[in-house]
Amino acid sequence: MINQLPIINMLIFLATALIIPLLSKRTFKITLIFGFIMLLCVVTSSFFLIFHIAEHGAILYQFGGHDSKIGIEFKVDLMAAIIGLFVVGLTTIIYIYSCGDETEGVEQKEYGRYYILLFIILFAILGIIYTNDLFNAYVFMEIISITTCSIISIKRKKETYAASFRYVMLNEIGSLSYLFGVALIYMVTGYTNIDWVSQSIQSIWQLYSINIIIALGFMIVGIGIKAAIFPFHIWLPDAHASAPSSSSAILSSIIVKVYIVVLIKLLFKVFKLDILNHFHVSTILVIVAATGMIMGSIFAIAQKDIKRMLGYSSISQIGYIVMGIAMFSSLGLASAMFHIISHGLMKAALFLSVGIVIYKKKIKKKNDFEGLAYEMPITMSVFTIAALGMIGIPLTSGFISKLTLGMASLDHRQGYLIIIVVLSGLLNVIYYLPIIISSFLKSEPNTYHPFKIEKVPWPMLTSVILLGIGILTFGIFPNLIMNMITQAAELFGLI
Amino acid sequence: MTCDIPEIDGKKKFFSYLTVQSTILIIIMLLMVLAFVLIKENVFGLGENAENLGVIYKAFMAVSRYEFLPLILIGIPILGSMIQLLYGERSCFRRDRSVIFMTFLTIVLIFMMYPAASTTGLKLKIPEVLGLGLSFHIDMLGYTVLLFSSIIWFLVMVYAHEYMKKERHCTRFFFFIALTYSAVLGTIMSGDLLTMFLFFEIMTFTSYMLVVHGQKEDSYRAGQNYIVMGLIGGFLILAALLLIYFNIGDLSFVSAITRLGALGNLRYWIIGLLVLGFGIKAGMAPVHVWLPRAHPVAPTPASALLSGVMIKVGAFGILRVATSYYFPPKNQVTDYLDPIWKTSENIGAAIIWFGIITMAIGVFYALQQSNMKKMLAYHSVSQMGYIIVGIGIAVYLGYRGAMGYTGAIYHIINHGLFKSLLFMVVGVVYYHTHEYDMYKLGGLWKKLPLTATVCLIACFGISGIPLFNGFISKSILHHGLIEAFEYGDPSFKFAEIMFMIVSAGTVCSFIKLFYYVFIQKTDNTYPDLKRSYTSLDSALATIGLFIVLIGLFPRFLLEHFIIPAMNQTTYDPEFIDHYIGHMKFFTGEDLLSMLYVLIGGALIFVLGTKFNWFHLKIPKWLSLEYLFFLPGYLLMRNTCKILYGDRCPIDDIEMNTVTSRDENIGFIERFVVTLNVLNRRYERSIIQADALIYTVSMLIILVFMFIFNVF
Amino acid sequence: MQIIQAFVDHINFIGAVALFLIGLHTVVTKKNLIKRIMGLNIMGTSIFLFLVAIGNVTGGVPPILQQDPNVNYINPIPSVLILTGIVVVVSMTVYSLSLTIKIYEMYGTINQDELTYLIREEEIHD
Repeated sequence: MINQLPIINMLIFLATALIIPLLSKRTFKITLIFGFIMLLCVVTSSFFLIFHIAEHGAILYQFGGHDSKIGIEFKVDLMAAIIGLFVVGLTTIIYIYSCGDETEGVEQKEYGRYYILLFIILFAILGIIYTNDLFNAYVFMEIISITTCSIISIKRKKETYAASFRYVMLNEIGSLSYLFGVALIYMVTGYTNIDWVSQSIQSIWQLYSINIIIALGFMIVGIGIKAAIFPFHIWLPDAHASAPSSSSAILSSIIVKVYIVVLIKLLFKVFKLDILNHFHVSTILVIVAATGMIMGSIFAIAQKDIKRMLGYSSISQIGYIVMGIAMFSSLGLASAMFHIISHGLMKAALFLSVGIVIYKKKIKKKNDFEGLAYEMPITMSVFTIAALGMIGIPLTSGFISKLTLGMASLDHRQGYLIIIVVLSGLLNVIYYLPIIISSFLKSEPNTYHPFKIEKVPWPMLTSVILLGIGILTFGIFPNLIMNMITQAAELFGLI
Repeated sequence: MTCDIPEIDGKKKFFSYLTVQSTILIIIMLLMVLAFVLIKENVFGLGENAENLGVIYKAFMAVSRYEFLPLILIGIPILGSMIQLLYGERSCFRRDRSVIFMTFLTIVLIFMMYPAASTTGLKLKIPEVLGLGLSFHIDMLGYTVLLFSSIIWFLVMVYAHEYMKKERHCTRFFFFIALTYSAVLGTIMSGDLLTMFLFFEIMTFTSYMLVVHGQKEDSYRAGQNYIVMGLIGGFLILAALLLIYFNIGDLSFVSAITRLGALGNLRYWIIGLLVLGFGIKAGMAPVHVWLPRAHPVAPTPASALLSGVMIKVGAFGILRVATSYYFPPKNQVTDYLDPIWKTSENIGAAIIWFGIITMAIGVFYALQQSNMKKMLAYHSVSQMGYIIVGIGIAVYLGYRGAMGYTGAIYHIINHGLFKSLLFMVVGVVYYHTHEYDMYKLGGLWKKLPLTATVCLIACFGISGIPLFNGFISKSILHHGLIEAFEYGDPSFKFAEIMFMIVSAGTVCSFIKLFYYVFIQKTDNTYPDLKRSYTSLDSALATIGLFIVLIGLFPRFLLEHFIIPAMNQTTYDPEFIDHYIGHMKFFTGEDLLSMLYVLIGGALIFVLGTKFNWFHLKIPKWLSLEYLFFLPGYLLMRNTCKILYGDRCPIDDIEMNTVTSRDENIGFIERFVVTLNVLNRRYERSIIQADALIYTVSMLIILVFMFIFNVF
Repeated sequence: MQIIQAFVDHINFIGAVALFLIGLHTVVTKKNLIKRIMGLNIMGTSIFLFLVAIGNVTGGVPPILQQDPNVNYINPIPSVLILTGIVVVVSMTVYSLSLTIKIYEMYGTINQDELTYLIREEEIHD
């Protein structure tokens, strides 16, 4: 029974997405509660999955009973289970937020469509994490692509259209590159299943080196476009500027990370370390990541709109994650995975608190934050905690990921990368600190009550507080998840 | 919202009841100190009979050895801050009383820690927090700094109650002072570098709120400078932490010199990062620039604490790191010629030179100031230079460096006392006259006699007059420099000459201060100055008392605090015994050199007032910041021309910001404006060229991999 | 001579790569939105052509079971893959085209350069 659990999770999401239109005649609250219950079920089952896999090893599931050589196979190992739980848990919190928001600017009849799209995205995310087949990953990738684009441009406003057109175009180019890579691999090995492909590639790669080079290049660039790695990040800031806050949070915290998981699977399970070291892929990734870390922050400093600024900040943090991967060691991989989770929490906290501010005050420029902390103390406190985490202050989870990333880079004998980590932290200070300072200090309060609860819908506040508590908990007691992450990273067989 | 003394029977009481209560607390504290002194000095045979107290003694010892005492010590100020937040603005007496009580409680607890700290040291390890675990370790070095920090903090809190009546947002002020206090306690008590880093960062953030308290334009500027430099220091320490953890595996403050020695040049990088990182906090030149900006804008109690305690934490950090990681363990070395001391020799020499430069810069700028607080801030820089020279000697002479160590710790204690006293005096003058410019004051000794006396005591202390505490520490440091010159490199003769000149300059500067503020003939008669005795005066008097007592009985501190601290580090026991245990304090040659310094100081003062040396304008291009950032400025000013040729599209406001020579616009602002320009030019074109970027990068990556395949 | 022989042998693959480059060129250089969508379609088609060419076996018959045991079937799997692929590309094209219609309604132009200019104007007036 527990072997079926991954598929049951996916089917629950698909069923929810199909049932929601049927509930459209009733009040909207029933839809919300129904969706929430389904999400909670999947969260619990993901918990069970993690503990089961940690003891017993990966779960293999073949669709239709066909053999893995010709059929589609799902392999749920420890990393997939951890990322799965992270995705579903974070989506639950963002879901609670969007219950209160009425997703600013979205029209009344679109609410149901928003949630249908959300559940389909979740279904496809679980699919792409669990799958063990390269072409199947392409299919799920496309599903995520279209539905994400819709969830971003769901506001019928002028500026969303041009942004989402560019988004669609770039993602399409990325998927096609990835498909080309899959085609080349199929040409060389004759399989699309990851295990079989890696086995046969190890023996024949020297013969077909041109094919492998082109496949590797296309696939890395293709996934790089979708994961918003530095030179290919172009669609991300525009997409954030025009989207409702909960969609921005989902996009920046979850969707982008899922593609990085695909990249990890591709690099370390298909092309194992011999091939990668021969082609010096590590150097390429390090250069790309280091440039991303610095340039992301440099562009962020110059932005006026706060959501674009947060988008560029995401690009910089994704540079951190890619640098962790580029170390090609299990410590680096563990730090990358920890930063996936920690950045997800922090970025979601930032976007959701900015969303509350936009909901209440209708402002968008970052210079308008003056004196906000007196009217919305809880929101700005969570914003402060998340921003301090981005800078890398101890007691937040951002510090732990900086620490482990620094140690992984020293391990890799490239100690000068510490300088880039530190420099990027300093650049983060330049654009986060003025917002925090101006919000707490710059205006005279008439009456100041330290513990006033602001007049914002309670779901929004709850979700933001949960995220803040999560950041602090993982900052003070990181070993809650670090042990499991290290165990998962070692399963990849890197040094 | 004012906190006036409540009227009773139509007449205001002469002493507010909080003044009475805090005076009682001060007296209790003095009695505790007295009891401590008596027990340790075995007067009336009290020391031996202490054990006869039976149950009380056993209970006392049990509390002292309680393991979680460091956590309780950190928790008490946090609790105090919460309690005073509840009282808020409604009842400022209860609010301030809770803060003062809380500080007093910490003093009591610290006194109770003495037996455990002096024998084995109090250790506490908390695993699993922050990934690597926290640890606390209180040995005699930490205990000394802890005790004096808490006494100074308590007295400044008493002072702050009265002073803050004229300021606004007091609740926020006391909240952040309490949090800063717990962060400072945490830093001093920490047992490994990660814990120290954690509390260091917390201290940076909470003290930022104190600096920015006035919420005016220059407060924000000073605050931004302060916090950015503090965070830079934090990041430097983080880089060093990573290097140490990776290469040595263990962050606790135990000796690591053998493994560090195997690293080659990396060990100099590590200590350089640490010294620079802690040095930013300690006000070491060349990164001292935040100090003179932050002090004038902060309220006086915050300045007193910033100068009195927090910058000492920076020096304490340097001392702790240099003597723990870079010294061999106690039982492994018996000789000063052992080559294992080579590393510390090089490091120590560099630190001594940094210290000398700091001293000189501090005094020179201090003589040019007319704002009293800015002058005192530059003097803090200069005195920190003394302490850093002491630390440098302690590290440079290796096994025989005990004299420098003694001088550094003694001067930490002394400087804390007299600098906070000087700031409090300046605060009293401001409280009554609202004037910071010393040339505009005068003749205040009639109106504020207690303040004038106490100021005189503090000036004597800082100048190093015999019978006051400054004399002791300055002579020890002088001896230390002579030893460095004799046992080490002859170039330190120059350092010793600079030392004498700087001391003369300090004397001159304080003659100037006292003369202009209290004695100078002026037309102001200050009609609305009323003589009253408030908690301001009790705090002032107590610190003055401490200064005089330490000046009269220097041996007490030496025997019971400093020598046990040195016994726990790796210094030659015979050297300690011979030179320090039997140190004579009032020798002829010390007194003679002090006389030279005094004459020199008076001479400079007389000549200076005649030839108007005290108002020099330093040319813009010589200022430190300009030189340091010059390439960056040039690049930013010419960015437009470089990028666009003639069609530079930025408008006038931005061009003025980037290229103006106004010193108020800092480096960061210009940087942000340049980035705005860059962004506006390039961001849209990057976004438009999306598919082109894809093609080009794909080509580059493929070619790259192809090349590596072929070769 | 051998080069021409190799060229003719692998004409399918070379054709697919050429189509990909043509499609990429269209996306990169053309400014009209609809032309860019067409470029994307061409890129997609080129990859499908590539996949089909992989599955081709010289002298093979369509993969329907025949009585003769000695006959070579061409590989059916790539055909399956491209069926899925075609569906995906079609849905993406539909989505892009509907976005283009909306953009035309809102801005009155479908030229990328003018679009950027108009958006920048709006931003400055905001």
